[in-house]
Amino acid sequence: MATVTRPDEEVLRLGPNIPEANIQLPGVEKYEQVTREIQRTLYPTKLWFAGLSVAIICMLIGLGAWMWQVYMGLGVAGYSPPVMWGVYIVTFVFWVGIGHAGTLISAILYLFRAGFRTTIYRAAEAMTVFAIMTAGLFPILHLGRPWKFFWLIPYPNWRLIWPQFKSPLVWDVFAILTYLTVSSTFLYIGLLPDFAALRDAEPRPLRKHIYGVLSLGWRNSELEWRHFARAYLFLAAFSTPLVLSVHSTVSFDFAMADTPGWHATLFAPYFVAGAIFSGIGMVFTIIIPIRRWFHLKHYVTLNHLDAAAKLCLFTSLVVGTAYLTEFFIGWIGGNSMEQSYWWNRVFGQWWWAAWVMLTCNCVLPLTLFVQRLRRNTTWLFTLSIFINLGMWFERFVIFDPSLSHEFEPWQWTRYAPTYVDWAILLGSFGWFTMWFMLFIKNFPVVAISEVKEIVPPPLRTPHPVEGIEVTGMRLAFEPETPGERD
Amino acid sequence: MSENSTPSGVRRREFLKVLGAGGVATAAIGCSSDRVEKLIPYLNHPDETVPMVSNYYASTCRECSAGCGVLLETRDGRTFKLEGNPDHPLNRGALCARGQAAVQGLYNPDRYRSPMVRNRSGQLVAATWDQALKLMEQKLGEVQKGGRAGSTLFLNRHESGSFPAFLDEWLAANGMPAHLSVDPLADNAVIAANRQSYGVSWPWLAFSAARLIVSIGADFLDTWGANVPQQLEFADARARLADAPRFVYVGPRRSLTGCNADQWIACRPGSELAIANALLGKGSVNDAATASDVPVATLQALKTELTGARPALVLSGVAGSDAMELALAVNELNRQLGAVGTTVQPDRAITSFDGIATDADVIAAVEAMRAGQVPLLMIRGVNPVFTSPKAAAVVDALKKVPFKVSFSSYPDETSELCDLILPDHHAIESWGDAQPMANVIAVQQPGMAPVYDTRQTADVLITLAKANAGIAAKFAAPNYMRWLIDRYPGGTSAFTLALEKGVGTGAVAASTAPRRATAIPKTAAPIAQTAGDLFLVVYPSCSLGDGSGANKPWLQEFPDPVTKICWQSWVEINQQTAVKLGVDTGDILRVETAQGAVEAPAYVFMGIQKDTVAMAFGLGHTAYGRYAAGVGVNPGDVLPVGFDAKSGSFAWTATRAKVTKTGAYTPIVTTEGSARQHGRGIAQALTVRELADLAAGRVTEHAEAMPGMPNTEYLPGLRSPMAADAQGVVSSNIKHKEQGMYSPDHWSGMAKRRWAMTVDLARCTGCQACVTACYAENNIPTVAAPYQESHTAFLHGVAGGNILKGREMNWIRLERYWEGGEDGGDFEARFVPMLCQHCGNAPCEPVCPVYATYHSPDGLNVQVYNRCVGTRYCSNNCPYKVRYFNWFGYGEPARPQYAWPERLSWQLNPDVTVRGKGVMEKCSFCVQRIREAEHRAKAEGRELRPDEFTTSCAQACPSRAITFGDAADNDWTVAKLALDKRGYHVFQEQLNTFPAVVYLKKVNHPAPAAPAGV
Amino acid sequence: MTKRRKRAVVPGLAALAVVAVVLSAYTGATQQPDTVIKDRGSWGYSAASSPQGRSPVQPIAFPHPTHVQTLGMNCLYCHFSANKSPDPGMPAVGTCMGCHLVIGPNRPAMNGRPARKSEGIATLQKYWAQKKPVPWVRIHHVPDYVNFAHMPHINAGVTCQTCHGQVQQMNRVYQYASLNMGWCINCHVGNVNPKWKARYDCSVCHY
Repeated sequence: MATVTRPDEEVLRLGPNIPEANIQLPGVEKYEQVTREIQRTLYPTKLWFAGLSVAIICMLIGLGAWMWQVYMGLGVAGYSPPVMWGVYIVTFVFWVGIGHAGTLISAILYLFRAGFRTTIYRAAEAMTVFAIMTAGLFPILHLGRPWKFFWLIPYPNWRLIWPQFKSPLVWDVFAILTYLTVSSTFLYIGLLPDFAALRDAEPRPLRKHIYGVLSLGWRNSELEWRHFARAYLFLAAFSTPLVLSVHSTVSFDFAMADTPGWHATLFAPYFVAGAIFSGIGMVFTIIIPIRRWFHLKHYVTLNHLDAAAKLCLFTSLVVGTAYLTEFFIGWIGGNSMEQSYWWNRVFGQWWWAAWVMLTCNCVLPLTLFVQRLRRNTTWLFTLSIFINLGMWFERFVIFDPSLSHEFEPWQWTRYAPTYVDWAILLGSFGWFTMWFMLFIKNFPVVAISEVKEIVPPPLRTPHPVEGIEVTGMRLAFEPETPGERD
Repeated sequence: MSENSTPSGVRRREFLKVLGAGGVATAAIGCSSDRVEKLIPYLNHPDETVPMVSNYYASTCRECSAGCGVLLETRDGRTFKLEGNPDHPLNRGALCARGQAAVQGLYNPDRYRSPMVRNRSGQLVAATWDQALKLMEQKLGEVQKGGRAGSTLFLNRHESGSFPAFLDEWLAANGMPAHLSVDPLADNAVIAANRQSYGVSWPWLAFSAARLIVSIGADFLDTWGANVPQQLEFADARARLADAPRFVYVGPRRSLTGCNADQWIACRPGSELAIANALLGKGSVNDAATASDVPVATLQALKTELTGARPALVLSGVAGSDAMELALAVNELNRQLGAVGTTVQPDRAITSFDGIATDADVIAAVEAMRAGQVPLLMIRGVNPVFTSPKAAAVVDALKKVPFKVSFSSYPDETSELCDLILPDHHAIESWGDAQPMANVIAVQQPGMAPVYDTRQTADVLITLAKANAGIAAKFAAPNYMRWLIDRYPGGTSAFTLALEKGVGTGAVAASTAPRRATAIPKTAAPIAQTAGDLFLVVYPSCSLGDGSGANKPWLQEFPDPVTKICWQSWVEINQQTAVKLGVDTGDILRVETAQGAVEAPAYVFMGIQKDTVAMAFGLGHTAYGRYAAGVGVNPGDVLPVGFDAKSGSFAWTATRAKVTKTGAYTPIVTTEGSARQHGRGIAQALTVRELADLAAGRVTEHAEAMPGMPNTEYLPGLRSPMAADAQGVVSSNIKHKEQGMYSPDHWSGMAKRRWAMTVDLARCTGCQACVTACYAENNIPTVAAPYQESHTAFLHGVAGGNILKGREMNWIRLERYWEGGEDGGDFEARFVPMLCQHCGNAPCEPVCPVYATYHSPDGLNVQVYNRCVGTRYCSNNCPYKVRYFNWFGYGEPARPQYAWPERLSWQLNPDVTVRGKGVMEKCSFCVQRIREAEHRAKAEGRELRPDEFTTSCAQACPSRAITFGDAADNDWTVAKLALDKRGYHVFQEQLNTFPAVVYLKKVNHPAPAAPAGV
Repeated sequence: MTKRRKRAVVPGLAALAVVAVVLSAYTGATQQPDTVIKDRGSWGYSAASSPQGRSPVQPIAFPHPTHVQTLGMNCLYCHFSANKSPDPGMPAVGTCMGCHLVIGPNRPAMNGRPARKSEGIATLQKYWAQKKPVPWVRIHHVPDYVNFAHMPHINAGVTCQTCHGQVQQMNRVYQYASLNMGWCINCHVGNVNPKWKARYDCSVCHY
């Protein structure tokens, strides 16, 4: 197959296409190959069933722990006043953060026409939705009276009282719900053409029917593609500010409080950067096994991972700067209470957590300056695990040493999570993994339509030239719309 | 839409069905509270009561021998709170923690529910009163027939008043010898010495008249003597600020009393007499210095200062083998310093301690039992098995007594060995009287009908007497109340009058029985001869006393005022010694003497002399109910049976112990976080000189402050932006016009008020009576009893786990900060009661997502329990950390952590909601009292009167340190106090919270020579 | 009719279902264990007001009309502490017997009515003879975390009928008002009678 549209050439393109460097997929030649190879990933395997059942077991453990906690009271968790927020809120912020990379990759990078996103964005976007679903559980299950959570939602009631709109926790409710709605819509819209493609390729009647329903009768017409492109662009533009706003709102839960170590104007950008950093870490954790087990290495190429790794490195540097700034402010502020808190953070009960955080988030990612490591999937995977760990501990280090070392020395305390905390943390991973496992075997984990956009368009007859001269302008052949032939 | 449309569509009927279902579901849930609940009226309404309105019955507290006056707050037939009786000469309205906790003795879940008889298999089984009394009569008969009545024994808990006389009368009628009046807490030596020097057992101690107070081991704020009146006097003395007496404490251990001293002289146990003699001039200062390991200069300075200070007040309270000699020396010293009549007032003597048997007498009685001379033993209200040293082998002695009768209300170590139990009423259910001072009779009346099937011992004795034809005539009175009234000076009318105030005039019937011959005790071996490398000091616990408080959860959860440890025994050990032994706080130490060994965790403490270890007495019960059994260890197990030969009092400090590290470790169950303030100005103090500067308006050296460190200049913070708006001070600054109820012109008039509190740290002694008063008033659960730990993730079934996690619920807590002493030298203790500051600009309010906490226009920071969903954000944001969360269902009867097992729940205050699991709670400034007063005022068509009511803590405080009221109305005392020059707010300068609590700085009196600033 | 029209019902149905859920959610929510004061099962606290319109059978069918309208007795005669206590006071059996010692169960014919035997009085005297209190069934109940006091309301001139309805006409008393919080607030802000305006922040009743 000789004909390849050279993206580096100055050409005017017609039809949907994403011009960008290193987006070629040399291993992918035909549209039907794309459909075939991706549709192939949808056949469940033993390994997959094993993984799914492990995930479900973990989730059930967490569920059991939570039911025990609801029955007995929050005391079964490790809270030791004044450490009133523990592992649950840490994990909440952790999962919200994970979500952000997904939206960044699928929305922002789309707007910036960053081609390397094409093959990984679907996994990332799914990750976002499930991460938010997981995160959303924690504010409820850390409540003293979870059955009253709906009092945080403004609705007309005979008590004639509203929520306290001054409270960041109420802002959270809005932020999280908005984010969940928008990102899931975005995911679904992106899936539409793929559902159509699968509907046409799927032999199994039941699935065929389901994909048919889900594709909302997509007919591949010009009109649909035009509307699709508009809708997709609009949603991308719509979710872009959310990436910034949602995690800023979450950071206000802490920045608005007077607690030493929380009360900082730095928090919003700091949290957003951290969120994206952790999210990209999670993307690596997810995409690297997938490209291995689903035989998609020629789709998710090393070039793509390399590019993503650079983004990871950048955010890591931002986060590192934020850490240094925090300490600097703590020192320059001259407030003895702040200072004693910072001392406690790095040398107090949880000193090792602070150092885990610094190592995983600031030191290890520096290896990404080396290209060989950026292109080494084993290293990227290992690193991504460390990043997840480090980012969880970042939240832990921000929240709990602060609370255990506040203004009132008489109430200084030590905090130790119990089996209930850990079980629920495990359960959250089980819950997230369960959804993701279900997703990857039922929906294309690589965006079929968008991949087709960057593979060479099939030609009816072999053609000597790669284009024709039209009044001195080289004009590439317009690719046929997918699914047209046969 | 047609009725019969295609199956794919939805029919209207189905549609409506769905709706209906929804509606029904709604309705069903809506009605699910429709339970049948009964309204049971009285059969005949008692005239003096109104439902849901409290009556207050004046009575007498029997928790210790002092016998303070109490008011029993009773509503709808239940007594649920004890308050001090303002008309009583001893406590003048104040009440200590142990007095407050009496109500937990009344409703104690482990009380005997009925008489108990030992069956053939040796088990104590419930019996009816008829059976029990028949058995008792039979045994009495046997003893009398056998002609051995003369050698029977009756041990009675000491109490002043008519009962001892009545008892002796009864015993005499039965041909039995007079009873032994036992009080393990009494300082026999001092009482004997006082009798010798002044002819009274406890002269009135007028601290405020003194110019210098020297206490040689006399813990007059803990358990030594009548602590409430002593504390009132002492606080009044300290409240004189500039010309208040300086207070020097001499002793091996810095007790709560010692912590209130300006100077602590750490001496070796046993050297107190030498020091007293040196001060007296009888001995040389150098000898005293060598004996006591105190620098000569210190003693010399003290001696000089003492001779210069007239009148001074010197006290001694040492349980050593020379205790009486010391007490006499001190009395002589007082005489020389012109104390007698001024600071020591024999003519205002407290008579509560008259007639207490010495420890030697008790042990002599035990020996008589061991010798098998005692055919019948009767015990009421005392627990010699627990309170005497194990070495006295009381258990074996009891086994030698053929028949033992206990009148105890609770199953304790002694009653468990008895053959017959005739459970006594609790004092709150009993009639009686007391003679706190000459010519003062304090009456004791029941607040309610008996909780269980118990009978007052006096009535039981009368019944028994009536059954005995020979003596029935002597006991014609139908019951003890009648007996009392018959003998009451002035008869029924006077008695009725006395019942109203709780006190009357006159003298109670005195016992005519011949006193037992005082036993001649064997002297304790001099400390020098006992084995061991460290001195062992055993002192009665402030809260548990002689251990009788251990079955009351309030007192168990009551942190020791000095070490802040609860639900646990500990060994106090000096840092230097600890370093030598390689011991750190929490390492379990083995304290071994010739008599045995106990193991308890170490508490490294700079307030103890370096050759000494100390343990508190009162824990380590093997019986005595779910709250006491198995908690802590009993240091009595290692004490020798030795006495001060002159007074016959136990020589508890007269021993040495071998202290070794076991290698085991247990976390110390303490409510303390950091014991240092880190310069955050929470508990502030002035020296007298700085006070003078302040008064003169001169700048003090506090003024230039480090960044982040509070300056000590008082801001008039009661006018917070919000409260001030409400009070119309800065209304002009209001952005938007609609202030609602916060507008001073609002018709509700709420904004007129600003409820506020002042806490005078110069008065506060850190006794924590306020803490228990708060528990009693506000239905605060105790969280760390062994049974409550059964489901926590740590320390299964061991007391204190929730405290380790910092989950204690003390709405008001006493923070105790150390100042100085890092170099091992003298140091200062600062106590500061910390409660919700009701900030006018509260950080907790805006963060609650559901408005469960908000600022009321009258200046309260309100917590609405039923609105709380438990995000705990408010607590995160509270700088004072005074919000407490219900981690478990402490208030839910079906939960394993339920804090009020039957019938403790009867003590609950009906005005205050009991909080369920998962909600936040905190100090409410006793809002229920505010509302009650407002309702009363409204009903009487008037405004609230200044100082008309006060909070529970302020009411109980035996130092009168707390004042509550309306700071916006200048007629209230609090409004004046808040403007005191010593006033300051905690964290106001850093956080701009505008608290409603004003603290008044403590005033220190450094030694004349020493530089200012301690 | 066409399919489309019928499909149009689905969203409406969904919306109504949601409404029903929300309604049941917050009605049901008030049943949750919040705060207890008496020893009740941990899942069965009184955390909700008793439902409106409820009219349980009483051990004695006490005729308020006879006592209030016919005999012109004042409410405060029996409910004696309504103006001096948070609690209105249930009359002691002795109070009833004050009259009913004399007025026995056999009622003579008077103002048009034939002679009859009064079950109620007979039962009452039975209780009195057995020295047992009458186990009245409670009708009006507010949650334990609501501190409702009768005294200030009566003293503010709020009539009994305002909250309890025309009891003097009820042969069998039923719950007249909903007793839910909105109902309280509505009166406290003065919508019922401007003269009865009162403070309405939480701590007036919840503490």
